[in-house]
Amino acid sequence: MSEHTHEAVSDESKRHKHEGPRNHNLTYIVSALLTIFAFAAVLYGQLDRTFIILFIVVLGLIQAVFQLFFWMHAKEKGHFFPVIGIAFGFFIALTAVAAAVWWMWW
Amino acid sequence: MANAHAHAHAAVHHEPKRYTGLMDWLTTVDHKKIGILYLIAGGFFFLIGGLEAILIRTQLMYPDQKIFVGDTFNQLTTMHGTTMIFFAAMPLLFAFMNAVVPLQIGARDVAFPFVNALGFWLFFAGGVLMNTSWFLGGAPDAGWTAYAPLSSIIDPDGKFHGVDFYVLGLQIAGIGTLIGGINFLVTIINMRAPGMTFMRMPLFTWTVFVTSILITFAFPAITVALIELMFDRLFHGAFFEASRGGNNVLWEHLFWIFGHPEVYILIMPAFGIISEVVSTFSKKRLFGYSSMVFATVLIGFLSFMVWVHHMFTTGIGAVGNSIFAIATMAIAVPTGVKIFNWLFTLWGGNIRFTVANLFATAFIPTFVMGGVTGVMLAVPAADFQYHDTYFVVAHFHYVIVGGLILSVFAGLYYWWPKMFGRMLSEGLGKVHFWLFFIGFHLTFFPQHFLGLMGLPRRYFTYMPGFGLETGNFISTIGAFLQGLGMIVFLINIIVTARKQKDAGNDPWDGFTLEWTIPSPAPEYNFKQTPLVRGLDAFWKEKMAGNKEMTPAEPIGPIHMPSPSILPFVMSLGLFISGYGFIYHHYIVSGAGLVITIISMFLRSLFDDHGWHIEPEELEEHKGGKA
Amino acid sequence: MAQTHGVAALPAEPEKATLEGKNKLLAFWTFLGAECVLFGCLFATFMALRNQVPDGPTAQELFDLKTVGWSTFLLLTSSLTSVFAIMNMHKGKHGATQLWLAVTVLLGLGFLILEIDEFTHYVHEGHKFTSSAFGTSFYTLVGCHGAHVTFGIIWITTLILQGFKKGLTVVTAPKYYVAALYWHFVDLVWVFIFTVVYLMGKVGH
Repeated sequence: MSEHTHEAVSDESKRHKHEGPRNHNLTYIVSALLTIFAFAAVLYGQLDRTFIILFIVVLGLIQAVFQLFFWMHAKEKGHFFPVIGIAFGFFIALTAVAAAVWWMWW
Repeated sequence: MANAHAHAHAAVHHEPKRYTGLMDWLTTVDHKKIGILYLIAGGFFFLIGGLEAILIRTQLMYPDQKIFVGDTFNQLTTMHGTTMIFFAAMPLLFAFMNAVVPLQIGARDVAFPFVNALGFWLFFAGGVLMNTSWFLGGAPDAGWTAYAPLSSIIDPDGKFHGVDFYVLGLQIAGIGTLIGGINFLVTIINMRAPGMTFMRMPLFTWTVFVTSILITFAFPAITVALIELMFDRLFHGAFFEASRGGNNVLWEHLFWIFGHPEVYILIMPAFGIISEVVSTFSKKRLFGYSSMVFATVLIGFLSFMVWVHHMFTTGIGAVGNSIFAIATMAIAVPTGVKIFNWLFTLWGGNIRFTVANLFATAFIPTFVMGGVTGVMLAVPAADFQYHDTYFVVAHFHYVIVGGLILSVFAGLYYWWPKMFGRMLSEGLGKVHFWLFFIGFHLTFFPQHFLGLMGLPRRYFTYMPGFGLETGNFISTIGAFLQGLGMIVFLINIIVTARKQKDAGNDPWDGFTLEWTIPSPAPEYNFKQTPLVRGLDAFWKEKMAGNKEMTPAEPIGPIHMPSPSILPFVMSLGLFISGYGFIYHHYIVSGAGLVITIISMFLRSLFDDHGWHIEPEELEEHKGGKA
Repeated sequence: MAQTHGVAALPAEPEKATLEGKNKLLAFWTFLGAECVLFGCLFATFMALRNQVPDGPTAQELFDLKTVGWSTFLLLTSSLTSVFAIMNMHKGKHGATQLWLAVTVLLGLGFLILEIDEFTHYVHEGHKFTSSAFGTSFYTLVGCHGAHVTFGIIWITTLILQGFKKGLTVVTAPKYYVAALYWHFVDLVWVFIFTVVYLMGKVGH
């Protein structure tokens, strides 16, 4: 247990590096911009359908990663298992979606 | 660890709330007691499922019999499969997880004792809910896989609610299993004793770790599948109804995205039990420990990538079939690694054929047979021939009964002294083993050939004159022998329970931490958290000439969680609400949900500060060592 | 008991200060992994059935991107305000934590009102739960997300209220932290819902 107390102390000094509002505000702006781009791509309507779909899905993924790492603190230390867990969950979700798209929709 | 607890709660000393008798069992949050509850409930459902199996085999003993026909037979097969998988095999494994894992990693309890109790009561509520269907208009009859659109047919008279019981029962039990899985995952990651690194964990703990991961990521898929079936049945949804654009193959995908990992959820802890038993009774450390760990993780990962092999005949095309066929065959490689490791562990060992080891060594060839038919079934072209015949029935009974159940018995004979403080009778145990083992092979070996001769599964009879009589007759005799074996086992339990506690700390000369503490384990497990100095921690100390583990902390007050009735009440709420949904009385379902939600509020509002066992009490305890 | 803990006595990251807190965080992350699979399966269902509209309005005719845009804005902002709450918690400012969480709850309520309004509108247009496989899968996926928002609102409100009695301690801090994680996750799922359901629905097939 004593190792945990050390951790808490060393965290104190590191805390200020990532605990400012700057990164969080930045993530908000990035998320808003990505959202606006996605909406704009659809509303513009002159682009190829497959391109639009791929484009907005990629924008969604980028936004998800941003929020996961900054807002949910997944980039901080001690998040090895959480990141593995979310990644594995996402991977299985993706498998299910891929199966549905491949065999039932496309 | 106890110190941290004490600090966290500002060392408030609360008078321990203690219940006795029935109230003790309803409110317990002690993982060892919850393990016993899982064992009793799982054992009870195992007997019900076994009885259903014997009724099925009685009907099929001779051609053209009319004992259980049509719907009754469908209900028997459906309930046999569902009960055995969800309400017998799963809780029996959870019994071992609870009874053994915290002890093996040197922990005082699981990460969430309250959630642990909740998991048990939810499973139990689901199991009871589903089995009451027998008395309420008929049991589910759409097969344990409940394929739509068969399962989405609604009785126009509104009398038969079978599949609704299936949906609600599994949903409630499934939530319990899911939180149980998360609980053990966190327990194994966060609660290990000092020095117990991942690569020093006993193999049973490793397999439970992987199983917990599979539970966590597979059960949400069946949650969704059951929600969709429920919406179709209760609220006239269109998920599986082709006339409104629904697609019934969707059910198959969702069910098997869950269902395939599910069978690995079952077999993984079995692999762990076999590893512990085989190495203990060979007096040798497990051969190729790190390759065993690697194989376990690899099988766990691959289990999510093979679900389509249950659907080869659905018509998804050659490319899909081939990919999943190859992925399926790939699983044979890590599984083969395990088989060879067990054989090499036995090789040259000082083997003792105790009942536990009889079951474990019988497991190895039996499971190999089930594995070989598995690879046969993985060939899509051949699967078109085998599909839905008794060949498939023979295959999955070889891996589940021959694999899982044999190892459950091995585990029961091995850990019974640690759970109850008494040794099961070896004499009766041998009778049990031989009856069950011979009965098992008599039942299922002929079914391979019945299947190849074209006998389809789930049919309630067959005609004379097609050469199917002998196989079916032998199969039924085998089922009776297995039933006899179970009766002998029950007698063994009763005889054992009636005698004095006779088990020492370490009756088998074991390697792992659970054998360093008294049998049965005291409430707080370890008076002092042990310091782990290597793989097979206790063996390591024995080799160094020590009689016990080196403690990692001084003797101090031990923090214990308070017992609570809330897990039981929460499950009761969902149980009531389940009936409300089944009978479309939404006021009842609402009331049930309100009970559950109020319990959740109470849990959130009133923090449990627990209580402490003081060092003086530890000294008094008869199991305690100075 | 809460009063005995002064703000100064709290460790830097109170949510991780005890083993219970650490356990809770890890368990909750694991639960979110399971939620990924849950929503993944619902998305898979929706993808498979999204064009199955025998009669009645299609996604392209139905969806109004303006409402969706506002919903997205509300939820995204609420995710940011819950970050502010946790930042203040780390500084030991309990009042500010509760205040930002209250803002989060209000924004969540706004989202929910927009969603209910939207659903009512669709039902009038003939896009019902029972009308087609598209309808069933749409309401199940988006409704499941809405149910998560509702649960989050109730949960966080409970935490804010019990905060007045219990204060900021190593027991309440993990609760706040975990609720914020949940809220971020719900917002994250919405990113995929507006992409896959609404935007792709507008693109048509």
